[in-house]
Amino acid sequence: MEEILRMEHITKRFGDMYANRDINLDVRKGEVHTLLGENGAGKSTLMNVLIGLYQPTEGKIYLNGQEVRIDSPAKAVQLGIGMVHQHFMLVEAMTVFENIILGDRQTKGVFIQKEQRRREILALAEKYGLDVQLDKLITEISVGEQQRVEILKALYRGAELLILDEPTAALTDLEVEGLFAIIGKLTGEGKSVVFISHKMREVLRISDRITILRTGETVCTVDRENASAGELASLMMGRELAPSHYEKKEDTQRQVVVLEHVDYNKAAKHSGLSDVSLTIGAGEILGIAGVDGNGQSQLAQLITGVITPDAGRVDLKDSKVAKFMPQAFIEEGVSHIPEDRNKMGLVGDMSVKENILLKSTAQPRFSRFGGMFLKKKAMKDYALEMQEKYDIRCASIEQEARSLSGGNQQKIILARELEARPDILIAVHPTRGLDIGATRFIHDTMIEARESGCAVLLISADFDEILEMSDRIIVMFEGQVMGEYSGKNPPIEEISLAMAGK
Amino acid sequence: MDWTFVSNLILAGVRMATPLIFLALAELYSQRSGLVHIGLEGLASIGSLAGFLVSLVTGSPLLGMAAGAAVGILVNMIYAYATITLCAEQIVYGMAINIFAPALAAFIYRVYFGAGSELVQVALMETVAIPGLKDIPFLGPLLFDQTPMVYLAYALVIFTAIYFNKTKSGLNFKAVGEHPKAAATLGINVIGVRYAASVICGALAGMGGAYLTTCYTTTYVDGNVAGRGFIALAAVIFGRWSAGGVLLACLFFGFCDALQIRLQVGSFGVPYQFFQMIPYLATVVVLGIIGMRKAGPKASGKPYRREER
Repeated sequence: MEEILRMEHITKRFGDMYANRDINLDVRKGEVHTLLGENGAGKSTLMNVLIGLYQPTEGKIYLNGQEVRIDSPAKAVQLGIGMVHQHFMLVEAMTVFENIILGDRQTKGVFIQKEQRRREILALAEKYGLDVQLDKLITEISVGEQQRVEILKALYRGAELLILDEPTAALTDLEVEGLFAIIGKLTGEGKSVVFISHKMREVLRISDRITILRTGETVCTVDRENASAGELASLMMGRELAPSHYEKKEDTQRQVVVLEHVDYNKAAKHSGLSDVSLTIGAGEILGIAGVDGNGQSQLAQLITGVITPDAGRVDLKDSKVAKFMPQAFIEEGVSHIPEDRNKMGLVGDMSVKENILLKSTAQPRFSRFGGMFLKKKAMKDYALEMQEKYDIRCASIEQEARSLSGGNQQKIILARELEARPDILIAVHPTRGLDIGATRFIHDTMIEARESGCAVLLISADFDEILEMSDRIIVMFEGQVMGEYSGKNPPIEEISLAMAGK
Repeated sequence: MDWTFVSNLILAGVRMATPLIFLALAELYSQRSGLVHIGLEGLASIGSLAGFLVSLVTGSPLLGMAAGAAVGILVNMIYAYATITLCAEQIVYGMAINIFAPALAAFIYRVYFGAGSELVQVALMETVAIPGLKDIPFLGPLLFDQTPMVYLAYALVIFTAIYFNKTKSGLNFKAVGEHPKAAATLGINVIGVRYAASVICGALAGMGGAYLTTCYTTTYVDGNVAGRGFIALAAVIFGRWSAGGVLLACLFFGFCDALQIRLQVGSFGVPYQFFQMIPYLATVVVLGIIGMRKAGPKASGKPYRREER
């Protein structure tokens, strides 16, 4: 097969940190080429170099055999390279139509020729089975449709090489099937796709070839026929990943959290709690299984003091909670890994160091007079210690938290929440969007917390995670507790039915 | 309330809305590209002095307007370089312009005329009636017997409305203010658009200032912009970041201003300062009501760095 792209010895440095180091990649016409790697392995950086958003520190790029210099995104567009970013590059205040024609240079004239453009776009959409509503605002359409808009946007600009950066991360299973069908049509028309992912199952299904990246370097490129999931995982991680089986505990001594007949916003089935009674014991992990949006968020907010129940009783460590305020709960030893790390877990504009210390600045260790004067040196040393202990990969602890990859952001939260030595840990989707290595790290840390006597509430939409981690499992449906099961040999069939409300 | 009162009110309202329209359009272009500019007051001050001096020396108010625009662009390039190229805080530099430019204007005036000199006066721009339209009963003489600058202001509103809603370039411009990174990935030159916006903003703000000394009053005094730069800022929010909305907002504030002058003249016993508050009070009330219901361009106020991770 004909080669369309070749990237040779690409190196990209940010300050002292190598995001890419001597990477080689070649993509053939009509193939799906996957870039596989953990968070922070340099996949997105490499692609940003390819589309001219970053300038490589070293290295050459060849397109159809010709050496090219891609010094701006405009140049990449002109060369027929299109990218669908993980975080979509769509202007929310504009319509789908406006987003597609944005920055258009192919047509002449000052004014937007609406009818003509619409016809062209619809024809293109039809050809590749991209179903979009042109007159809707971006905010009014689903994530799956937004993605189709992004693909259409790239095709409209004549993309021959389409880069999809973690395209399935935000999609439902059904939408993923739709996306794969579209990818099939694209390659059928002779277009090439670079698919970025760390989900093994998808990678093995869709790719023709797979290039594995690890810590900014190429490991190797393999054909799909010669690849297996286990082998890919170990190549990606750089070590063998032993299958994990955490020991389950069945006997808990002391009930640390007790909820009795708690109601909150009862009428709302998907954002309320109705007559919820449960207990969490010291040294156990209670898993809450259920389809997302059946009251799990409210449960987490209740036990962290963010919301106040309408009825019922909540006991923390044998005393009834009178005041539902996060501060009071923190003082009781409740730690929280929130469901959305960017919105609730971190202050993105603040540094890694500051985020780690966010909750503890008032301690005598880090300040004089209860937070009045900070001890900068002690803070820095502590942050460095945490960076080491939790394996937070960043260029510097002064770096803004937002610039880190998801896994490393989650580790910052973990460092902050677990070092407080909590008696109660509320973890909501703690591994959402993370790769295998980071997930394993976070699971291990949670088990450690359990071993030291912490009561852990794990809320996750990932059923496998619940099964693997929980000592006890409770299923929630429409704000109600549907049933309680042992974590040791759980009746999977029964739990699945309960999750569906049966 | 008699007929002359009403017609005078409308006439004055339209005249007073004109500098606001220039200033508010300046702000609109700036914000649409992602630059919140609170330094209009300063740009207008220096523009008004430039307009005054040039029209005094050349005897041409039209050249005065042009000079206002040129000086506005020049001073705004300080703001543009700092906020676009150096990614400095926009509010800080806007404030810096507000402190720097009026002081510069006052300084130049003193150097030129000497301290304590008598008030110098210039001739104002002649009104030009539009044949045909001015014969429309009632409204004709009010709206179509004004200086060319009034017509220019309205023409600019129409142009802006068409530009942002119908043209490709206008759509790209808006995208820069909404999501610069997305715009950049589509090959739109974000930095270029922001500089272009700053040139437009400087020119319009300078003209808004120059209008005050070439079409409105015959003399320059320090502080003659009198908060119009800030009212224009409010007008952009009130007008929901659209050209038509901005026009209506400016007319509203213009009429408030005209009304307060009429009331000052017409009533005795009430301190005139109370009436003077009307336009500013209206601004506060309107912003309070309209509030934050719909935010403006999303990336407004944020610097764009090319290789940000």
